[in-house]
Amino acid sequence: MIDLLGQFENIRFYLVGPYPNGAIGGLSLNILLTVLAISFSFVFGALLGYSRLSCRLYIKLPCMAYIEIVRATPLIMIIFWMYFFLPYLVGGHATIFSSAVVSLSIYAAAYQAEIVRAGIIAVPRGQLEAALSTGMSRYGAMQHIILPQAFRIMIPSFVSFFVSLFKDTATVFIIGVIELTQAGIIISQRDPDKMYAAYLSMAIGFWCVCFTMSHLARRLEKKVGVFDLESIRPDACRDEFMLLPKQKKTGEGIEQSVVCAPDK
Amino acid sequence: MLITGIKITLILLVATSITSLCLGTIIVIMRISRINILRFLGTLYVEIFRNIPGLFWILFFYFVFPELLPQSWGDKLNGYIHYPVIAGILGLTVDNASYVSDILRSGRLSIPHAQREVAMSSGLSRLQQYLHVLLPQMFRATLPPLGTRMVHNFKNTSLCMAISASELTWATQQIESLTFRGIEATSIATLFYICLASVMVAVIILLEKFLKIDVSSLKQSKA
Repeated sequence: MIDLLGQFENIRFYLVGPYPNGAIGGLSLNILLTVLAISFSFVFGALLGYSRLSCRLYIKLPCMAYIEIVRATPLIMIIFWMYFFLPYLVGGHATIFSSAVVSLSIYAAAYQAEIVRAGIIAVPRGQLEAALSTGMSRYGAMQHIILPQAFRIMIPSFVSFFVSLFKDTATVFIIGVIELTQAGIIISQRDPDKMYAAYLSMAIGFWCVCFTMSHLARRLEKKVGVFDLESIRPDACRDEFMLLPKQKKTGEGIEQSVVCAPDK
Repeated sequence: MLITGIKITLILLVATSITSLCLGTIIVIMRISRINILRFLGTLYVEIFRNIPGLFWILFFYFVFPELLPQSWGDKLNGYIHYPVIAGILGLTVDNASYVSDILRSGRLSIPHAQREVAMSSGLSRLQQYLHVLLPQMFRATLPPLGTRMVHNFKNTSLCMAISASELTWATQQIESLTFRGIEATSIATLFYICLASVMVAVIILLEKFLKIDVSSLKQSKA
């Protein structure tokens, strides 16, 4: 029994890393990285997602290119690019922590943009038509009618994206950030007797956070519940969306959900 | 070195896609079966493997799995020169299979109940029902998310560099450390990933067009 406790004596290291004597690390660093990356990329991703729906090609194309390129690149590659390039960009010294945050934000922005786009498309078109016919300007309609509804629809996707980004923060161990994975590896290499304990702690740490968050997402999905599949048009695109096309499509062939929640 | 890397990446991609589809199918059959224990085990599998990063499973199969086996087997595995690749395949498979089973399960839920009834009334056994009626429809109905998942899986093969499987990302890092030509190597690798991912997406879209189920007809049969 004493031995079993001894196996887990490094629990503090898994949770906060070398915190009082050094930088914060461990599981709390994973959470911190996720929160920072989500908040930075939210602004960027919302702009990207919104401009991807624009009817002006010179706005739409660069955004599409960014989203598609980032989504087709492995996170590890983005992390390496930022690890090597960020020092050049900021001219001098960049900590591994900042390059981790930047690369995660770049990665997350593309996925958030897709969520935002899907959310805006999911708002029934009648809403925009009604808003425009009451004499609102397009931006006013967007701001007061479409976006509030769209955000409501997006919330569950955001929470499940949080989970997947949280799992992806494990990847930044590759550049030596002492987050949970790295902490486990350090301990299992320093003390091979504690290998099982180290891997078990890693698994439990990730599992607890992800399990709670994904159940929260599921509950939110039920609560928000505006996901009326009939209202989602997979072929909808903002330029026809804005120009209000004449032909009205019958509601067939819309079973497949367009919401490309990045199911990582 | 890059060519070997590409080769290993492709091997990882093909192997994990096939194995994870098989494992995912088995698990989804467990999850929708009538037997409680099987259903419980399937759900447990998905809950465990979905909530822990794939990277963890790759590390687990590389470092911990040989220790769990009997001594002689473990030594053999650790001595085997291609073990990193195999550990990568195992880790990616168990990770990906949970997502595949989740996707297929949603496909099963979208099949109208009448299909099952018709299959039963035409005298098919349970195995035949699955093979000829349910599974083909499940795969066809979930083709787009399955395809996205496979692209994700392709990107995740780059995680295998953590256990020094000599795939593309690992090769770029080796080139960086041997010749300091990291930028060239990384650019080529990134380009390769983007190109192959785009090709995969294009193939999936084509497949989708060929195999599209007429949803409206399904709906009518439901009513």
